[in-house]
Amino acid sequence: MVPRILSALVLAGAPLGAWAFTVAIAPASPQEVYLQVGVGGFTGNYNVGGTPGNNATVNKASVTVAAAAVGNGTAQALSTDSSIGASPYDGYIFCNTPAQMYIGGFYRRTNSGSNTATVTATVPAALVNASGDQIAFSRLSWTTSGNGDTGGQPFPAGTFVSGGVQTVGTIAQNQWAESCWTFRYSNTTVPPQGTYTGRVLYTVTAP
Amino acid sequence: MIRWLPGVLRSVARAGLGVALVLAPGVAAALSTAIDDSGTVVFSPSVPMRWQALSPRHASGVLMSGSTVVRVRLNVTAWLQHSGRIYLVLPAQQPGSIRASWSSQGRLLPGQVSSGGRTLVYAGPISAPFIEDVLQLAIFVDGRQMQRAYELNFRFEMDAG
Repeated sequence: MVPRILSALVLAGAPLGAWAFTVAIAPASPQEVYLQVGVGGFTGNYNVGGTPGNNATVNKASVTVAAAAVGNGTAQALSTDSSIGASPYDGYIFCNTPAQMYIGGFYRRTNSGSNTATVTATVPAALVNASGDQIAFSRLSWTTSGNGDTGGQPFPAGTFVSGGVQTVGTIAQNQWAESCWTFRYSNTTVPPQGTYTGRVLYTVTAP
Repeated sequence: MIRWLPGVLRSVARAGLGVALVLAPGVAAALSTAIDDSGTVVFSPSVPMRWQALSPRHASGVLMSGSTVVRVRLNVTAWLQHSGRIYLVLPAQQPGSIRASWSSQGRLLPGQVSSGGRTLVYAGPISAPFIEDVLQLAIFVDGRQMQRAYELNFRFEMDAG
């Protein structure tokens, strides 16, 4: 009888907490940031597993001001050559092309802080034509909206600062942010005839 | 209390009631008994946890998820010819709030469990020395807590009766 009791004690005591299986987990990408202005590089929509990529396209916003209207103070809306009206998040038609240009992105980070990614625009002093004549970039501005959107926009309305770097929006940690911009030219001066061009560089910076 | 014990101990208890009473405190602690799952194999040595989609039109999303396949092999020899209830246990552990869900090939029940809890995966007679199944295991964690790699411990436990 005694040996059987000892045996039973061993059986009752040994297994407790002795067995387990382990699954190791590790963050595949602890920090991610993505910015798209105009045409982007998403393959598939983000909400169904789409992945971001690079796209070297530089989109253009332009307007031709009729001779009779030059300098008359009536703002001229620019249209874009971007064909992207759908959000790469879910394909929802968020922007109306060609009047609007999509700007959006996301910021991911594995900590409990409240960090923010900042989007800046590096702006030349002026648009220039072939003769070297100039139009100050500050004569260009934009409004912001989005189909079905309510409340404030993450990329608010603004006016370019000639020859500077300016913040044009933010993306909060672990959020997707997007807006649709409509550009306009103030048309308050009479510059020499010509095609004026300039390029703005948008940069996202995450802590 | 006796009904939670493996078959061998039950027979001993019936053989000598005095002994069974002496053992009672230990038996109470063994209401649920960890099952020998040393034959269980996790196929992925490290599961990559990826951000789940977040929405521009809703609150921020912070979930990370990953999945792996687990070939489960439970040694239930000690409970042969008895009935039992088997649970998958996910103890409270780092990185904090964890949820796991799984599908099975039918021997065990599908389900889900949150850290600090357990979920029934089998109830019925124990008629073979081993219970085997293959689980497709998905793991969800708060990405804000995933600042490094972690090892998640699971175990199976038996409530026999």
